Amino acid sequence: MIDADSTHLWMHFWAIATAATVSAGCALVGSFLVVRRLSLLGDAISHAVLPGIVLAVLAGGRPGGAGVFLGAVVAALVTVWLTNLLGTHAGLAEDASAGVAFTTLFAIGVVLVSALASRVDIDPECVLYGILELVPFDTVSILSLEVPRALLAAAAVLIVLVIGAVLCWKELVFTAFDPAAARAAGLPVGVVSAGLLVATSLATVASFEAVGAILVVAMLAVPAAAAELLFRRFHVMLVVAVGLGVAGSILGYLAAWRFNTNAAGMIAVVLGIEYVVATLVAPGDGIVARVVSRESLRWRVACEDRLASLWRAEEGDATALAPRTLLDRLVQARLVFGGRINRGGSGGLTDIGREEARVIVRSHRLWEAWLGRHVALPLDHLHPPAEWIEHHLGAEVRGRIAADLEGHEGDPHGRDIPPEGFPPRTADEPAL
Amino acid sequence: MILAVVDDPFPYGWIPPYNTLVVAAGVASVGFAAGVVGCFAVLRRRALAGDAAAHATLLGIGLAFLLGGGRRDLPLLLAGALATAIAALLGLVLIGRWTRTRDDAATAIVLGVSFGAGITLLSGITARGIPGSAGLGQFLLGHTAGLTAADATILGAVSLLAVGMVALFLKESTLVAFDPLFAAASGWPVMLIDYALVVLVAVMVVVGLPAAGAVLVTALVVIPPVTARQWTDSVGVMLPLSGMFGLVAALSGVAVSSAVPRMPTGPLVVIAASVLLTVSLLIAPRRGGLARWLEARRTVAAWADGRLLEVALRLDGDGPFTREQLLARAPGAAADSAFKRLVRSAALEPVVTRGGTHAWRLAVWGRELAAERSRRVAAWTEVLEAAREDARGHLTIDVPSPEAILGAARMKAIRESAAAERVAGGPRPGQPWQPGQPGGGAGG
Repeated sequence: MIDADSTHLWMHFWAIATAATVSAGCALVGSFLVVRRLSLLGDAISHAVLPGIVLAVLAGGRPGGAGVFLGAVVAALVTVWLTNLLGTHAGLAEDASAGVAFTTLFAIGVVLVSALASRVDIDPECVLYGILELVPFDTVSILSLEVPRALLAAAAVLIVLVIGAVLCWKELVFTAFDPAAARAAGLPVGVVSAGLLVATSLATVASFEAVGAILVVAMLAVPAAAAELLFRRFHVMLVVAVGLGVAGSILGYLAAWRFNTNAAGMIAVVLGIEYVVATLVAPGDGIVARVVSRESLRWRVACEDRLASLWRAEEGDATALAPRTLLDRLVQARLVFGGRINRGGSGGLTDIGREEARVIVRSHRLWEAWLGRHVALPLDHLHPPAEWIEHHLGAEVRGRIAADLEGHEGDPHGRDIPPEGFPPRTADEPAL
Repeated sequence: MILAVVDDPFPYGWIPPYNTLVVAAGVASVGFAAGVVGCFAVLRRRALAGDAAAHATLLGIGLAFLLGGGRRDLPLLLAGALATAIAALLGLVLIGRWTRTRDDAATAIVLGVSFGAGITLLSGITARGIPGSAGLGQFLLGHTAGLTAADATILGAVSLLAVGMVALFLKESTLVAFDPLFAAASGWPVMLIDYALVVLVAVMVVVGLPAAGAVLVTALVVIPPVTARQWTDSVGVMLPLSGMFGLVAALSGVAVSSAVPRMPTGPLVVIAASVLLTVSLLIAPRRGGLARWLEARRTVAAWADGRLLEVALRLDGDGPFTREQLLARAPGAAADSAFKRLVRSAALEPVVTRGGTHAWRLAVWGRELAAERSRRVAAWTEVLEAAREDARGHLTIDVPSPEAILGAARMKAIRESAAAERVAGGPRPGQPWQPGQPGGGAGG
């Protein structure tokens, strides 16, 4: 819990730096996991490294030291081996075998921690959500600067991960996106996968002290998944994921400071908010983009329908209804403002409006005529498809349909099909 | 409080106190129901969705605690937990429907973020020193010591209700679990049944919280069904068996944790379940490691016996033969023990020759055995040749996989003995077919 009255800004700086470093490493590894559909490997490993860490500490390793890293990597490999064993020998589905393996190893870890509490300085509950706030108190002196040990470990891991990613970039990307082709091209796919496994355990162990076993899952998967929604090119996605992870850590820590609560949990919440924002604003298939494109289509259709109904009223065989609903009124206002409908009481079409409306009605009747000629539909079945497609037919398609209907004047209901592009727009008329 | 008084576990003589009995019964029924409901989660591959729901329960506990004005009323807290567990499942569905994010990442996101939110809320509550908040952390790793008889009764009742639901809709759930396409084609509301099962898993996860804690409760739903699966191929057997495994795991975990101070219940329950699973993986009939190993040994031995008989039949035409002659023509690791078995079963009988060397010939019964084996080999060869021609002529894939008929262990034994023979250059009756080589083996 962060002391809000604390004047030790330096402490907060170190905690933020640690969180950001840890998060950057996790986002880097997590991007590969997410595109390989291995996010749950991070879940399994983060749970399963606990017994490895505890045993390494018991054997005399210092938390954050090399021995502990080794123990954790071994534990991670054991988990994956156990999961595979359960899958191949006991015939379990992937999720069930992962569920069995990591809960069991984690349970063993917690029991070890609880049973050996006097000899192992690990709090079983902090194992779950970390002690980021206490990170600055365990320091190492470097160049007369007191640097938190956890930060050093995280920075070392981050450097190793970045170097590994740069050196093996081609192999990593190739195997991630097309493992079969990579194997055919002679790349050591198995070695690359094992390397990714080791990288995941390194990132997990580096994060363990700061954010705990479970929130590592959020740090691994969430920034990468959010970045994947935002950008399709992998190297861009990777950089953005790291950026999102770092930003989430800083904002999360500050929010936890402000609201006096657990920093690691708050970081996960902020990362979750980032993901939600990404689902909303993602270009192309984000929720906002989808809603906007759907609504703009609906709006265009409403405008065109209004124009067409006014045109039909002018033609004389129907009366245009006065706008009633809110959408109708908005459409009316938009058309008046855009110069399609005359201002004032008459509410008739302007020349531009008439021209646009004529094209829509032409599309509608051409389609009805074409359907009536080529598809044996009853008369009352012609209108609905035409009502839909009139908004989508281009000039070229209209021309071809007209050519096809050469010599058959009028639509099936006996009305004239208005001509294309007549009268031509003069130069001094404003184009809208 | 189950066995709460460690120094004197039975202060009332050998009859445990009423509260202990009720809590034990409650935990037992939770374990049973989790095992039963979990079967469908495992069969439908929803194990990790249940895990995400479990991690989300912490948030609901915190919210319910705040809404309830700081009362630690177990049913209220669990109702909150259920609400967020279902919200987490809903989140999974929404992510799947509205975004490009794949299932695995969606699960990790929901799990990590909802757990983070729960931790944030609980830490915030604890930091503000709201009275009664100290015990909320017990839901992380499970802690049954604080359960009252009333709480345990409610847990037990909900569990039995869940079991009742499964029993009531057994046919529908089984159908959806094994053949969702057929179920949909037959007009069953597959989505509805599916969602109902997932919600039932969420209910069990929530009810299991006091016993196993948010982090590990998923094991209570996953491990017993997997254990039961080792012992049976029938859903009707798997469900109660899984329930019993869950019951035993929950009870023994709770009992051990009450005897050891400062030990959370959840990990012990999980370890108990894993011990049951490990034992089952080893000794279960047919699927267990031991049974498979014995089966493989039997297969290898039977195959070696047959090969030896076949060679013996051929040698027998030229009169008695020595052990060395026989083994030289049927090499392989298992040949020696096969020879001993044939002698012991009196399929080979000794012939005393001049010079005192031991020679052997086939007994009448051994000859019958060998003839029958040759007939079978010829019949198989014929069938396989026909299937091969069929496969070539019609480009059909409807050739039965030999592993499906013979079993993987037997195929392995056959391949190994064939490889050993190729190395030794021994006789190769019924030559194995090589790609690109025209057919023409024995019996073609």
